[in-house]
Amino acid sequence: MDAESAGITKRQLGMILLVGGIVGFCGILAVDIVDVGREGDIGPAQTVALFAMALAALVGLTLLPLGDAPA
Amino acid sequence: MTRLSLPLHHALMLCATIALLFAAIVYAVYAANLIAFPYDYDQGEGFEVQDTALLSQFKLPYLDTETYPFYSSNYPPLFHMLAAPFVWVFGPAYWYGRLLGFAASLLIAAVIAHAVYRDGQQNRWIALLAGLAFLSSNFVYHIGPLFRQHIAMVAFETLAVVMLARAFPRGDKRGITLALFFLLCAGYTKQLAAITALAAIIWMFLRGPRRGLICTAGFGLAGGLVFLWLTLASGGHWWTQAIVANVNDFLYDQAVGLFRLWFGLHGFLLVPATLLVMVELYADRLSIYSIWFVATAGLGGAAAGTWGAGDSYLVTSIAAACILSGVFFSKMLANAWTPSRILQVLPLARIASMSLLLVPALYLGYARATLKMPTIGEFAALAELLGIERNVAFHTRPDEPDFYDSATWTAGGYARIGYLLTEADHAAGAQIVARIQQSDKPALSEDAGFSIAAGRDVVTNPTQLRNLHLAGQFAGDELTRMIEDQAFGLIILRAQFFPPHILEAMGQAYVHNETLFMNGFDYLLLFPRPGYESRFAS
Repeated sequence: MDAESAGITKRQLGMILLVGGIVGFCGILAVDIVDVGREGDIGPAQTVALFAMALAALVGLTLLPLGDAPA
Repeated sequence: MTRLSLPLHHALMLCATIALLFAAIVYAVYAANLIAFPYDYDQGEGFEVQDTALLSQFKLPYLDTETYPFYSSNYPPLFHMLAAPFVWVFGPAYWYGRLLGFAASLLIAAVIAHAVYRDGQQNRWIALLAGLAFLSSNFVYHIGPLFRQHIAMVAFETLAVVMLARAFPRGDKRGITLALFFLLCAGYTKQLAAITALAAIIWMFLRGPRRGLICTAGFGLAGGLVFLWLTLASGGHWWTQAIVANVNDFLYDQAVGLFRLWFGLHGFLLVPATLLVMVELYADRLSIYSIWFVATAGLGGAAAGTWGAGDSYLVTSIAAACILSGVFFSKMLANAWTPSRILQVLPLARIASMSLLLVPALYLGYARATLKMPTIGEFAALAELLGIERNVAFHTRPDEPDFYDSATWTAGGYARIGYLLTEADHAAGAQIVARIQQSDKPALSEDAGFSIAAGRDVVTNPTQLRNLHLAGQFAGDELTRMIEDQAFGLIILRAQFFPPHILEAMGQAYVHNETLFMNGFDYLLLFPRPGYESRFAS
């Protein structure tokens, strides 16, 4: 089946998660910078989202050495 | 080791089966008890009856809430369309919607068992336990036998995912089309299915990016066309009522509390499910079940923290966990792992041997963790034998229902239901209906069931008015005027979800004269205040 061999590789998935995690992390932090009218510091929901983005980036990093194995 | 372990394995598997079958029996008893009750058990059920009644007359339930009867639905229509033929035969009632929900939960259990059998190692016993494990969940127990669309959504989601898992890698166009159709059905049963749709799209993209994008485009087009039709056919009210009014505040404490409870109750299966996700991520290919599990646990869990949401929002993740843990156990028992450098370092043969005892022990632990049962009647002797005592209390009264729930009722957002209804509940409902019938005027009731039973108009949907009010989409001038004019013979409040200015008008024009206790809640009956002069009187 063509889809079996043409799928995303572990390395590609790793890159997607790494870049997505970093961009997401910065984006969540930027909410406070862009929306200057917001009151208070980083809230609990924002902290959880930051943690999730950091975790995604970390998982992405660990997938990079797995090369061309299908994801 | 094996010679000694195998009989013990069978004995423990038998114990786990009995324990989970007992949970299924309790679930069936609860469903039967609930199906016989003709009023709201869970707040909002009656409005789903009303949606079904409207759709049975080929009317969309997305209406203008500024004019009488100030009613609108905030849910997609499919579940109510499925129940609509029952209205033609039996009239508006709760029993068939609850029966459909219960049947949907049994269907999900069967599909889970099928998936574990097919995608595991054809281990029938583990497949059976995986299906029963779904029915044993406290969260499933709550939502299954209600006249709510949620469990039907989970049924469509599960069918779609299990079908797609086989059809997409094989390029089976008919199978893919049917799976995506079920996914569309899930979305038009409840909006929360968007999370499963996202998981399916991500997985298809990982497995075959080009074909995944083509399937996503077709799926999006079909879904978009239905959306457009609903928007046009409802004069735009579908957008306001089902989308805008569904954006609610996020309650962090509720989300965290429900996550903790979810893990505390289902941890015996969630940990193995997570282990299989890790194995697939690093040593095999990611299955759709893994991505489905991660997405529905993360995003579904976050959605559970919004106002009006609750434990049911994590039910889809439990279905995914039942499949993943079942496949994991099957592979462990058969030592049937895909060859991998990473897994080679593990003592797989020894793990397989240990799993003979570990797997049934985990299912037994899960059965205990999710235990809930009545503590009276036929269950009293068993409760005493197990050392189980009632451990939950109602909202407004110190009375305790004769019910044990391992979840307790302490987490915010966890539905305080599950106990069996009594004759006193039936009698209290009948009393409220009798109060409505004392007047010729319509009643303004927070539960629609009383008005339906009394043969009166269903007026308003309080949570919908509240949400619209918060979104700046509800003024309520006409409703306020009718309240001030005492146009309603009776106002029945349960949770006082109405917008503040509506509650204020009620407090001025009506007087609270009577409280009736039914299914764990105090129902406040407000009668027209004698001598009250409406501000609108000319």
